[in-house]
Amino acid sequence: MTDRRRVTDGGSGMRVAVRAAGDWEEDVDETEGIVVDWFAREGRSVQAGDTVCEIQVEKVSVDIHAPVAGTLDEIVVDEDDAFEIGDTLGWLRSE
Amino acid sequence: MVSLGRMRELYADMVTARHYEERLQEEYLEGKQPAFDISAGPIPGELHLAAGQEAAAVGVCHHLRADDTVTAPHRPHHVAIAKGVDLKRMTAEIFGRKTGLGKGKGGHMHLFDPDVNFACSGIIAEGCPPAAGAALAAKKRNEDSVAVAFLGEGAIDQGAFLESLNFASVHDLPVVFVVEDNDWAISMPKERVTDVENGSDRAAGFDMPGFRVDRDDALAVYEAAGEAIGRARDQNGPTLLEVQVHRRMGHFMGDPQTYRPDDDEEAALARDSIDRLESTLRDHGLGDDDLSAIRGDAEERVEEAIAWAKEQPQPAPEDAYDDVFVNPPSGVTTEEPDFDLAGGDDR
Amino acid sequence: MSDADDAVDRELTMSRAMVESIAHEMRANEEVFYMGEDVADYGGIFDSTQGLLDEFGRDRIMDVPISETAYLGAAVGAAQEGMRPIAELMFVDFFGVAMDQIYNQLAKNTYMSGGNVNVPLVLTAAVGGTYNDAAQHSQTLYGTFAHVPGLKVVVPSTAYDAKGLMHNAIRDDDPVMYLFHKRLMGIGWMPAPDGPKTPVPETDYTIPFGSADVKREGADVTVVTLGLHVHRALDAAESLAAGGIDAEVIDLRTLVPLDTETILESVRKTGRLVVVDEDYRSFGVTGEIIASVADGDLDALDAVERVAVPDVPIPYARPMENEVIPDATDIEASVREVVSGE
Repeated sequence: MTDRRRVTDGGSGMRVAVRAAGDWEEDVDETEGIVVDWFAREGRSVQAGDTVCEIQVEKVSVDIHAPVAGTLDEIVVDEDDAFEIGDTLGWLRSE
Repeated sequence: MVSLGRMRELYADMVTARHYEERLQEEYLEGKQPAFDISAGPIPGELHLAAGQEAAAVGVCHHLRADDTVTAPHRPHHVAIAKGVDLKRMTAEIFGRKTGLGKGKGGHMHLFDPDVNFACSGIIAEGCPPAAGAALAAKKRNEDSVAVAFLGEGAIDQGAFLESLNFASVHDLPVVFVVEDNDWAISMPKERVTDVENGSDRAAGFDMPGFRVDRDDALAVYEAAGEAIGRARDQNGPTLLEVQVHRRMGHFMGDPQTYRPDDDEEAALARDSIDRLESTLRDHGLGDDDLSAIRGDAEERVEEAIAWAKEQPQPAPEDAYDDVFVNPPSGVTTEEPDFDLAGGDDR
Repeated sequence: MSDADDAVDRELTMSRAMVESIAHEMRANEEVFYMGEDVADYGGIFDSTQGLLDEFGRDRIMDVPISETAYLGAAVGAAQEGMRPIAELMFVDFFGVAMDQIYNQLAKNTYMSGGNVNVPLVLTAAVGGTYNDAAQHSQTLYGTFAHVPGLKVVVPSTAYDAKGLMHNAIRDDDPVMYLFHKRLMGIGWMPAPDGPKTPVPETDYTIPFGSADVKREGADVTVVTLGLHVHRALDAAESLAAGGIDAEVIDLRTLVPLDTETILESVRKTGRLVVVDEDYRSFGVTGEIIASVADGDLDALDAVERVAVPDVPIPYARPMENEVIPDATDIEASVREVVSGE
């Protein structure tokens, strides 16, 4: 599951990180991956538990789920861009 | 008994094939990290590598002459190497170059080298009927050449294979069907999709002999294949031979193998046919120097082929229009290309 | 996307949209099941069944032997018993192995029985090139299946269409060939162009067969296409717009039935027709569309061009594959020709 590190920045709701992290980390040796797809655009709403993006690490596709319901506030790592495992891929703003 | 000289030859081809696949894997993955994009990197398309299947190829093909025919499936490199296909031009084909075996038109699943009567099909089991046909031609011409069709264990449920067994048997054709059993049809384990454990049991239903070599052992394959090919050459009809091999890599490069239990992969890696033959060679007195000299030669041959292939020119876009026919009818695709498409023989 | 709902926040890739509709139909109807090679644990080589094994188990998401004649034919038989199987050909190129079951059984049993037998089977298959897989793994064969009477032929180009067309396919009482382009599926290792990923409602909905979709309106020229080439045509239309040419892009979505009326309506407006296809040029989709327009309203047609794979098998090496599979530049060039009247 995605880590729920929360940051408040004065806006309504809380900013919640969508991180490239999860149980699957145990099964991979690589430290780098890429974002394959985002399933919402910035400003659009997502439900808690929805697959918010798909990443690829060592040829294995992994779904990253929304930790909370809210809106997709910011996409940090765009489609086809690389990240290090543990990185913040984007931010949700909770309802 | 297999002579020491022959054992060294089998070993040389096995280490050549293994090194070849490992080097192609490296080349193929170039430009595919961290994102695995099938369209990136120096080798186009899919790539099905045969590391772990060398014993079957060398054990069979070292009984064959250039005028004997071999058909291979989508995983053909080890068979091609054992059959004596031109390694440089084969590698150029895999890199999609103009001087490749098929001028860059066929690619790694579709290698054709008429000099040694080698052909492929990328469609499961579809090399079996043409192998029977090559055997039919030899029989009609009263020649003593034979044909061998290679296929995977996943192909033994396919009509083209089963129909070919009957066709070959009823016509007593000089053909050997060689099943390489690597336990997996992509993600499907054999027991899920096939009703028999031993694929060579299929032979009984077609009134032909069937044998299975149930371990990754090039010498055992060599002996069994010798009998089968001798039978064919002596005009005593077809044989079905199944060989247990193992899959050291994914079905294709990029296969995440998430369906494969770890212990299955570990067990496969542990039963290395190259290690097995190496230990036999040591029993016959070969030392580290001898073995590393053979491996060194093999590696050098592979590196030369890859280096040569990468220097070869890409085909021109308009080369795509040639070779649909050897004798092109004039008037085909008239409006399309802006180059001379005069009819008649274009060579 | 004209049909897509702007109020929908969630976007899906084409493969996920397909899987969502299949899962929906399987929950609603016990008689729906899926058969194919590597569709269970692997989830389909092109992600066509990703996740379905977990929910429905091996009885309903069935890996099958590499025996296309047997399992496609078995799907025909199960469908004739009233079940609603979905059977997958991993690559459409493999149809030849089982051509009799498709061409002589699936397509004809309804007719030969005088309508007393029907075959509610969906045959899914991955189609198309652009990734150098050569002549035996890169064809579309759209025309081959549309040619024989008795098969409905569906070719989605977006996630929204893929879902609605799949719902309709599974509910249809006739055989449906559902041909999905590998390059559009949104697979990690084969990146899709922008465009096929669209907003997709979570609820079920159907897109009726025989309703072509005007993916872009334009006044100067009608571009009729399907599958991957919808997106290439839209790219071409963008470039052409910069040069003052306003192209209308029609996505056929189904070949059988063919929505001739939408094409005619557009050609009556523009007078110019360019048909774009990833199948072979001769005896295929491009010729059929042009003939249909000529039959329907010859006077409306001032100029016509077709863009398709010249009559060669798909070559392996990149420069040659790029040459024979039409791209946006080829489409632009043909549009300019019909517009300039050359």
